[in-house]
Amino acid sequence: MEAFRDTFWNTPHWAEYAQYALGTLTVLIFAAGVFWRVNKWRLGRAEPGPWSLKERIVSLVRNGLFQWRLSSDPFATAMHLMIFWGMVLLAIGTAVATVDWDVTKLFFGFQFLKGVTYHAFELILDIFGVLLILGLGMAMWRRYVRRPARLATPEVPRGSLDSAYLLGILMFIAVTGFVAEGLRIATGEHIQTAWAPIGYGLAGLFAPMSVGAMKTTYQFVWWAHALAAFTFIASVPFTKAFHLISSPVNLFFKTPTPPGRLATGLEEGAAKIGDFTWRQLLQLDACTWCGKCQEACPAHATGFPLAPNNVVQRLDGLLSTAAKRNGKGNGQSNGQAMAPAETLWACCTCRACEEVCPVMIEQPRLIVDMRRHLVYQGEVDEGVQDALMNIQRYGNSFGQSGRKRAEWTKDLDVPIKDARKDEVDLLWFVGDFASFDQRLRDVTRTTARLFHQAGLDVGILQQAEQNSGNDVRRVGEEGLFELVREKNLDALGKATFRRIVTTDPHTYNTLKNEYIADGEENPAFDPAVVIHYAVLLDELLRDRKLKPLRRLAYRVTYHDPCYLGRYNGIYDAPRRVLAALGTKLVEMPRHGPNSFCCGAGGGRLWMKDTPGIEERPAEARIREALALGDVEMFVVACPKDLGMFQDAVKTVGAEDRLRVVDLAELVAEATESAVEARPELRPDLAAPGVPRPVTAEPRPERIAQATDEQQVEGD
Amino acid sequence: MKIAVVLRQVPDLIEPLEIVGSGNALDLDGASFLVNESDDHALEQAILLKESAGATVDVVALDFGDVDNTLYSAAAKGVDRLIKITLEDDKPPAPKAAAAMLAQAIGPIEADLVLIGCQAHDELQGALGPVLALKLGLPYLGVVRGVTAGDGGLQACKEFPGAVMARMNVQLPAVLGILAAESPPRYVPVSRIRAAMKSTQFDEQPGAAEPTEPAVVVRRMYHPEPAERAEMLVGSEAEVAGRIADILIERGIVK
Repeated sequence: MEAFRDTFWNTPHWAEYAQYALGTLTVLIFAAGVFWRVNKWRLGRAEPGPWSLKERIVSLVRNGLFQWRLSSDPFATAMHLMIFWGMVLLAIGTAVATVDWDVTKLFFGFQFLKGVTYHAFELILDIFGVLLILGLGMAMWRRYVRRPARLATPEVPRGSLDSAYLLGILMFIAVTGFVAEGLRIATGEHIQTAWAPIGYGLAGLFAPMSVGAMKTTYQFVWWAHALAAFTFIASVPFTKAFHLISSPVNLFFKTPTPPGRLATGLEEGAAKIGDFTWRQLLQLDACTWCGKCQEACPAHATGFPLAPNNVVQRLDGLLSTAAKRNGKGNGQSNGQAMAPAETLWACCTCRACEEVCPVMIEQPRLIVDMRRHLVYQGEVDEGVQDALMNIQRYGNSFGQSGRKRAEWTKDLDVPIKDARKDEVDLLWFVGDFASFDQRLRDVTRTTARLFHQAGLDVGILQQAEQNSGNDVRRVGEEGLFELVREKNLDALGKATFRRIVTTDPHTYNTLKNEYIADGEENPAFDPAVVIHYAVLLDELLRDRKLKPLRRLAYRVTYHDPCYLGRYNGIYDAPRRVLAALGTKLVEMPRHGPNSFCCGAGGGRLWMKDTPGIEERPAEARIREALALGDVEMFVVACPKDLGMFQDAVKTVGAEDRLRVVDLAELVAEATESAVEARPELRPDLAAPGVPRPVTAEPRPERIAQATDEQQVEGD
Repeated sequence: MKIAVVLRQVPDLIEPLEIVGSGNALDLDGASFLVNESDDHALEQAILLKESAGATVDVVALDFGDVDNTLYSAAAKGVDRLIKITLEDDKPPAPKAAAAMLAQAIGPIEADLVLIGCQAHDELQGALGPVLALKLGLPYLGVVRGVTAGDGGLQACKEFPGAVMARMNVQLPAVLGILAAESPPRYVPVSRIRAAMKSTQFDEQPGAAEPTEPAVVVRRMYHPEPAERAEMLVGSEAEVAGRIADILIERGIVK
């Protein structure tokens, strides 16, 4: 006799009806729950944005079905893919068996689950059932044995029992499914098949039982399995399992705008749940509590009172409260209740959290929206207030006269044009730090000499340049951001240039991504003309406009600036520059998209030191570089980084072991134009009383000629 | 409680101050102006009293410098009325004349409390507060650090030389010269200032200049001259830093 699927074997007929009745009830509860959830999202404001169906579908398949964004964590990827696809295949299997039995057989008199097809069906379900159990086992081991800190989140909206319930019920469903299969095979009333290897193996265990006992036990197990499955499905919208729906929906609705373009929020910021957009509320529900953001967060790692997952989960809890109270999103009325101010100010907006989030939650955007409310209420850190007042009044955060912006050019021995008057090829948007910070002016001049050496036609906006506003915006001062953007756009609009270069990744980010009013064409320039100097230096070396005359045999490590890497995806150009100079690049464990913030972003640079933290993020980063062993230079491509890390090597006492250098300084050293790049003239290294760093002397190995050896090495 | 606050414009010291050709006054033509710091504290103190005890706050300012922006900023902080005293020329009047104009504008308000910064960096002796009190016929208490309103009326914390503090009960009406508010002036976001620009009306009143004899005549104004032992450090940043380091070593401060 040919094997076939006997779906309701050994169950009374009434049980079949009961199944359908229960199934209907389950679907109704599930639908009501989903309706309740979706209604919660509707408490949010509208969110306009570009609509790209193709990108959305690609993201859904890639990140939803195949969970691509987990790929940096192989354990999590394996675990989650096994649970997800195990459940999906088993659910499909159940549906197929139902169709086979109660549709095609009942109405059309034929079964397709028979013979070879049935064997394959059994084998596939057994395999995926095993994968499910393995995945669940891994999850349980990780959560309850290994217990990583990131999974212990204090703000979990429904308590940690939610995770235990989810893992427990799925395990119960999988195990009872196999036991039922084993009992069914053990009775011998089915054709015994090794195509269901797990059931077959279990059948051997049940062999000592009488057939009657097997059948009775089977009925209990079958009911338990069915009831557990219905319970699970009905509970999906009310438990953590809802991420099965909310996460893919969130991936689908993620607006395909550049990560560096912060959405314009309400002028008065987010003071209550209803001040977020519906898509932000959807994100709150999409959180899977995985805690990856917490693990990646530099503020959390160094003892600041911020864990991005807590922010999200606390808001999710408030969303539920708001929904229960009146359904109109007025449940919360002050910013303090949404998140403590010290938590909001702890964020460096480095985007590490967003980068690792498997379901693409935009934590920094939530934080900035709440900061906007604090700023609107005038509740800002003293240092931030000074910086904002200075920018309002003088156009720079240093509180210096705008006339001093170009003071660094006074001692410059190469010409630099006034882009307000003369047409230039390259407009250099210098930025506040490179212009005003005494420690950085030498590097700024070095960069100017490199541009000159490469034969570039460069000009600056002099005092017409204002702070670009990137950090102003991330502090939450949207009005001031708009003001400086207007002034800069006005100055840029009056200048004639082909490209804009800047050394500051923050400036680069906002010029490239945010100097365009929403939905409008940029009146002053095409964002594509904005380039970062690391990219320009790479281009100049590649085109032999800058020719290395000596090979720099340094062992270096490179710090990816957040606003260059994570925000704008520029990782390779600075590395190609380092390769072209002949340096040996040793990567820190956290590099590329996983780079660890220096702690200056999002206006943190302007804030006072936070008491009680373990260490500053920049110090943690320097320790990471020191742990590499024999690396002698820490290369940066951001003016703020230079200041932050030069301070950090001093505070960790590593001045004699690690030298913080700007990418331009190394290029200058290799191309022989860098008087100021020489260590003996660097005030930070040559200060009296400070021992000369052992690695400070350049060790150029003169090579016969600039040969092809120095050509760009790809990475 | 009715509070009147005086907001003065002072030259912004971010730019070097120049002296006019005659050598007895500042050249204000090229100067930029901003609100006097202790007046800003006076305004903050008024807003804090308004928030804690309830009050109306009227601001009075002379029309020169960047006064409009100062007033819009005050409006964004939540004051009730903005009085701008227009001048016949756009130069700041001497303190005595200014006091007369301010008294003329403040008198009709019948304020219980007049708050003014106790000093301004372009003013001799911090005279405006006391002279204004004299013109209004009110008592004056200066160098005040924080004013609180309680059940027993108003209390002011006055600072004496040597950091000696005294808490005093203030009989209203009075003029208080504020050195610092209870908390530093709050930040006013640009969006609020922009909104104030659209919605705020100034109450403009002409300032009638009374012919008055100046109380103090400035004979000569000049930049500080280096004393005998002073060494002015000049040169690039690196040179100056190097010289400072040398001096510290020479004097044995750093070894």
